[in-house]
Amino acid sequence: MRVGTASAGTVLRPALALARRAFRDARVRTISYAYLFVAIAYAQVVAYRDAYPTLSSRLAFAGSFFDNRAVRLFYGEPHDLLTVDGYAAWRVGGTLAIFACVFGLLAAVRALRTEEDAGRMELVLAGVVGRRSAYFSAMVAIAAGVAILWLAELAGFLLGGLSLGGSAYLALATVSVVPVYVGIGALACQLAPTRRVALELGGAVAGVLFLLRLVADTVAGLGWLRWASPLGWAEELRPFTGARPLVLLLPVAAGAMTIALAARIAVRRDVGTGLLSARDSAEPRLSLLSSPSARALRGERGSLLVWLGGVGVFAYILGVIAKSSSSAGISKSLSREVEKLGAGSIATPRGYLGVTFIFFVLAVSLFACAQIGAARREEADERLETLLALPVARRRWLGGRLALAVAGAAAISLAAGLLTWVGAESGGVSISLGRLIEAGANCLPVTLLFLGVAALAYALVPRASGAIAYTLVTVAFLWDLIGSLLGAPRWLVELTPFEHVGLVPAQPFRAGAAAIMVGMGVLAALAALAVFRRRDLIGE
Amino acid sequence: MPSPCACWDAGRVSRPRSHPSAVRARWQDDPASAAIHTEGLSKRYRETRALDALDLTVRRGEVYGYLGPNGAGKTTTIRLLLGLHRPSAGAGHLFGIDAWRDPVAAHRRVAYVAGEPFLWPALTSAETFEFLARLHGDTDVAYRDTLVERFQLDTRKKIRALSKGNRQKVQLIAALATRAELLLLDEPTAGLDPLMEVAFRDCVKEARERGQTVFLSSHILSEVEALCDRVGILRGGRLVDEGTLQELRHLAAQTVDVTFDGEPPQLPPLAGVSVQGAGPGALRFEVSSGIGPLIAALAVVGGDRIKTLTSREPSLEEIFLHHYDGSDGRVER
Repeated sequence: MRVGTASAGTVLRPALALARRAFRDARVRTISYAYLFVAIAYAQVVAYRDAYPTLSSRLAFAGSFFDNRAVRLFYGEPHDLLTVDGYAAWRVGGTLAIFACVFGLLAAVRALRTEEDAGRMELVLAGVVGRRSAYFSAMVAIAAGVAILWLAELAGFLLGGLSLGGSAYLALATVSVVPVYVGIGALACQLAPTRRVALELGGAVAGVLFLLRLVADTVAGLGWLRWASPLGWAEELRPFTGARPLVLLLPVAAGAMTIALAARIAVRRDVGTGLLSARDSAEPRLSLLSSPSARALRGERGSLLVWLGGVGVFAYILGVIAKSSSSAGISKSLSREVEKLGAGSIATPRGYLGVTFIFFVLAVSLFACAQIGAARREEADERLETLLALPVARRRWLGGRLALAVAGAAAISLAAGLLTWVGAESGGVSISLGRLIEAGANCLPVTLLFLGVAALAYALVPRASGAIAYTLVTVAFLWDLIGSLLGAPRWLVELTPFEHVGLVPAQPFRAGAAAIMVGMGVLAALAALAVFRRRDLIGE
Repeated sequence: MPSPCACWDAGRVSRPRSHPSAVRARWQDDPASAAIHTEGLSKRYRETRALDALDLTVRRGEVYGYLGPNGAGKTTTIRLLLGLHRPSAGAGHLFGIDAWRDPVAAHRRVAYVAGEPFLWPALTSAETFEFLARLHGDTDVAYRDTLVERFQLDTRKKIRALSKGNRQKVQLIAALATRAELLLLDEPTAGLDPLMEVAFRDCVKEARERGQTVFLSSHILSEVEALCDRVGILRGGRLVDEGTLQELRHLAAQTVDVTFDGEPPQLPPLAGVSVQGAGPGALRFEVSSGIGPLIAALAVVGGDRIKTLTSREPSLEEIFLHHYDGSDGRVER
């Protein structure tokens, strides 16, 4: 072997290896999202066709939705609800585009910042791969993942019996949002000094863009705002309802610009830092250092505030919008059908809030998963070893983390109830504060159940616990939405805890089911404490 | 308890561990009062046998060097002692307490420095000290300030902004400043510069003077040689040798260099002595048993022609390598 020569092949091959590595690192997330895309695309299409077989039933359905701004909150503005295609474009496209945004953001931060934080990027850049090729290798890996999502959604539609061309275009519209969010994530990675700050920055921008679309679709006269958000562009592509493929230029241009800008910064800045560098020195602040749980609260403060803020803003808007849900033109039988589709009885503000609060149940459950994830990170980074070599009992440590998770979940739930009430009051809907606080508290039984199960997964299989917890919550939620639509037997549908949540304030609080869920959660948590007491600490 | 030195020749200095009858205070034999005592301590990780029936006793007040290359089982031993991992067989005790059964009671008497300085990135060093001190409950704050000074640490810096060596200092200072009876140090000087290493050695000596027991896991031989009262050598999860440096020296060969006036004489073959030429008029002997027979033989065949005679004891490095240089160095149990 000669020393000091490098041909083009010796540069390209490592870049490809890097891209392959990044793709492999993301495989679990990619596969999970792909399953999700297939399942939702297929189930919604089949369910709509079964539930509304005739034109007249679809007309009634469309009428009820067209005037009901409240339901546009999640899925955007419907353009044609009379055909299965049009329904799919609205409902499936609207839902999956949100998932695609999250995918793009997470993928960018994972491929760029996580590698850098772990110090692996330094190793790579010390080799023959230049900064630019390292950066674009990550982009190639993400693009491959997006292609898989596109194929998955397309497969779902085709299985559901939609046409090939239209399905391909709709799936394209869904994933069209990804480049922009990858660009946002990549930019956040250049600005932020750590992975966590990058996620928070990117998440904040994504949240604002979502709010813009939400306002555009629900507030009369502000429809033009849709053009300010990539999610709005995906709607304006109008799959199946008068396609406007030229709109595709917008996400492509915005994605290319942000990705290129991030690349420019990435090749110039110091590896391992961000443009917004955090302060590295500080006078000691000795609050919240008295116990492992206090320190954990100190560490989670920022993330807790982000959760409270996000859920609070969303709850407020829900409250304001609740007014616009009306019972006009919705028959009893139709309401039941709507309920089957997972939209619930949306005819009244009260009913509407009852249905939408299930999303808060989901959000708070995900918060619980994130808390178990934080506990696991403490162990994976071997900080827990230092902690547990001190006179700190394992039970005290894990118990403290669980208590922190419960307290955080309670705070978020109550904030959701309170701010929904504030929103509803300012929107002109009169509904009692107590009832909405109850709706908030109603998030907790399911959350406690998932918290206990996630803790048990953490105690038994620490390395896989994050994936298990998030998957369980997501699958349980989706199964609640689509299980009955797929004609699954009742007992199978009832396996998901979400099925047993009383839709407060529309329905009464289901105390029996709640008690059972809390009991199961507590049992699982106790089992987790017992198992964790008896296992080895396991690093990364 | 099987002796790790069953193959040693007769005539070795009797070692307290294999001869409990040797003159020694009775309390030193009492496992309940030993700082560290393990019996058959073993750990298996799936197909890997990380630690194999370890019998180890570290007396109170001694500085014990735990030597072994990477992967020999040093960290595993400490994790088992602290009850961070669960023994597959056997048990370990700290001051008579099984840390797996009662970790909190055991940990009150111990301070630990982990092999990798993973701490909380968002805390400053000062905050880290405060946090660890409150959890431990017994820290000498004045001594900690002295240590900060001695190790030249900027305590306003956040952990994430510190280099590995500086994070290691944070861990070390936090542990050394406790009044714990036992310091468990897992390769504590990894990442420290030579000046800081000197400071570390001073600290260990001070700890010994205060009566603290120090368990020093290391592969830096000079450090162990300079600090430790007794040394254990670990190989492939087994303790292959143990004793004071003096005792260990007898295992590896002693080197004797002799120069002569004129041609070196022919010596009769001697048990335990190998002869190498070492240039004109010089011989080098590797003596693995007593030096007496060699001296006697030299006196007979060329006593009047000997110009110089120097003998050198084996360094710890030679002892260490002796245990790792393949079949002839292997000590079977």
